[in-house]
Amino acid sequence: MVHASSMYVIQKTERTVIEMALENGVTGLGETWGTPDVYALARRFARDCLGKDAFDRVALREATLGRTTYDNRFGRNGLATLAGLDLAAWDATARSLEMSLAELIGARRRDSIDVVSTLPAAILPQAVSRAELTAHLDDLSNTRKVVDFALEQRRKSGFRSFKLKSAAYSPEWDWKLLNELREAMPGARIRFDPNANYAPATATELCRRLDSLELEFFEDPTGELEGIARLKAAVKTPVATNMWVVRDEHLAPAIRRQAVDVVLGDLFMWGGIDAWRRMARTAHAFGLKPALHSVYETGIATVANLHLASALAEVEYPNDSGLHFLSADVLAEAQEVKDGAMQLPAGSGLGVTLDRGKLENLTLETTEVGRCG
Amino acid sequence: MAAPVSVAYTHVHSIRVASGAEALVARALIADGTAGFGFTLNLDAGVARDMAAWDALGRSRKVSLFGLLGGSFRRKVNLARDENPSIPPDWTALRKGILDNRYELLRIDPFAWGSVELVQTIAAVAASFDLGIALLAPNAHPWEIQYCAALAATIKGDDTRIIFRKELSQKQIQVSSEPGFGIDWELEAGFAGVRWQGPG
Repeated sequence: MVHASSMYVIQKTERTVIEMALENGVTGLGETWGTPDVYALARRFARDCLGKDAFDRVALREATLGRTTYDNRFGRNGLATLAGLDLAAWDATARSLEMSLAELIGARRRDSIDVVSTLPAAILPQAVSRAELTAHLDDLSNTRKVVDFALEQRRKSGFRSFKLKSAAYSPEWDWKLLNELREAMPGARIRFDPNANYAPATATELCRRLDSLELEFFEDPTGELEGIARLKAAVKTPVATNMWVVRDEHLAPAIRRQAVDVVLGDLFMWGGIDAWRRMARTAHAFGLKPALHSVYETGIATVANLHLASALAEVEYPNDSGLHFLSADVLAEAQEVKDGAMQLPAGSGLGVTLDRGKLENLTLETTEVGRCG
Repeated sequence: MAAPVSVAYTHVHSIRVASGAEALVARALIADGTAGFGFTLNLDAGVARDMAAWDALGRSRKVSLFGLLGGSFRRKVNLARDENPSIPPDWTALRKGILDNRYELLRIDPFAWGSVELVQTIAAVAASFDLGIALLAPNAHPWEIQYCAALAATIKGDDTRIIFRKELSQKQIQVSSEPGFGIDWELEAGFAGVRWQGPG
C-alpha cells in the first residue's frame, strides 16, 4: 500500500541489517536505516568495531563517533549507524549472558506490548505526485477512506491505538478526519502527527479546536522547540515530539522550556539503547513520558523496541510500529499483532532468528567486514 | 528497581568492622545457586540487599557491574576530600536544585539513595544537564570506596569522582574487572565469621 504523510509518499522501505559475530561464537543482530550514506557508514563503523569488546558499548561509541557530541562528524547518520551496531552488540551480549535483552536493559516487566497502527494521511491507489495528492486532499469526502482503513486495522488485528500521519495540507481535512475517527472509535487512543508542517499559529489554532476530541497526544504539531513550547502552553492535550528532542543535548533545554509532555524517542536518532535508556530515565525524572517511535523497521528493530518497552517502567504509551505494513520480513518467527499487541519473544537476546532465505530475497547489497581466517 | 534477576533467598547479618562500627552484610542467592554479597554502614538493609542481588548476577554471568550496565567510562576513578553536603534522597529537591542552577557537581551518597538503579537514574540526569557526579563514601571505608568505584565506572562525564570527609593518601582507585562489584570482602575479619542462613 501507499504510505503518505507530510514528509513522504512511499511504497517501500530500505534497511541495513547487521550481524555481529563475537569471538565466543555468539552472533548478535542489529538494524538501522537503509540509506546509501548509512549503509556506507555501517561498513566503516563495523571495521572500527573489529577487535573491540562488544560487552563495552561505551568503547564501541568512542571507536566510531568519538567521546563527545562535537566529535561526531557524521551527524544524525552517525548516530543511526552506531545504533545499528550497538543493537547487535546488546543482542550478542545478552545472548552470551543467557539473558533476554529486556533483562539486560533493566528487567523483563511484561511480555505483551500494545502497538500503534499508523494511518496514512490519505488512502491512495498508488504512489502519486504531490499535485495529485493535493487534489485528493481537496476532496474532503476522501477522509472516509482513512476511517474505513482504521476500522479495518482494528477488525484485523485488534488495534486500540492509532497514529494519523497528516499531510498538513489543510486544517479542514485534519479536523474533519479526526472528528470522524473519534466518532467511529470513541475509546481508541489516537495520536495526530503532521511532522511539524503546520506553522505555529496555524497549528495552535487547529490543536485548540482538537482539544475537544481528547486525543492521546499531538505529535510534532509544529516546530521548532519554541513553537512547540508555545503550542503546548496553549492546549490541554499532551504534546509529543520525535523531531525537536532527538539527541542527548536537546533534553535539558526541552525540560527547562517545558516544551513537550512526551519524548517519542526513536532508537536510531538517539544513537542506541544506552542513550535511549538515559533519555527515558531523565525524561521521567522531570515528569515527561518517554515513548518509542518507529518508521517501518523490520522485525529486528521492532522486537528491540518491544524489549525497551518491557524493560523500562518509564514507558507507558503503546509502541509505534510499522512492521505489520511490510509485505516481507527477515526473521524466521512471524511477529504478529493480535488484540492490538505484540508479544516479547522468549529466549536470550532479542529472542529472534534471522531467516537467511528471506534476507537473501530482499538483499540489495551485502558486505562482510573483517572475517578472520 | 532491583537487579534484573530472580533472588531465591536473602539473609542480612550484622557484623562489627575493624573501626568498631556496625555494618550490615547481605547474601543473596539466585536461582542457579550463585551467591552475591552486599553491605552498608548506614544500617539500611535495602541497599545491602540490592548490592547483593547485582553482585550475584555478575558472579553468575562472570561479568563486572559495568559489563552488566553497558560499558565502562573509566578504569581509574579520582578520589578527593570534599566537605560539601551531599544531596539528600529527595527527587523534588534534586530537580529544583538542578533547574535553579544550584549545582555543578551532584554529590550523592549512594548508600542513602539506596540502589544501583537510582544512581543510574541520577547519572542519566547529570549527563543530560552536563553535571558531574561525586559519589560519597560516607565512612571512607574501603568497601564503600570499592562499591563507589564500580558505580563510577558506569557514569558518563570526566568530573566523576569519589569523595569522603577526611584526607586519604590514595588519590585514585582502579575499577575492578572482577565479576559483580569485585569487593574485597576479606578486608574485614568479621565477614568470614558470618554464619549465613539459607540453602548453600
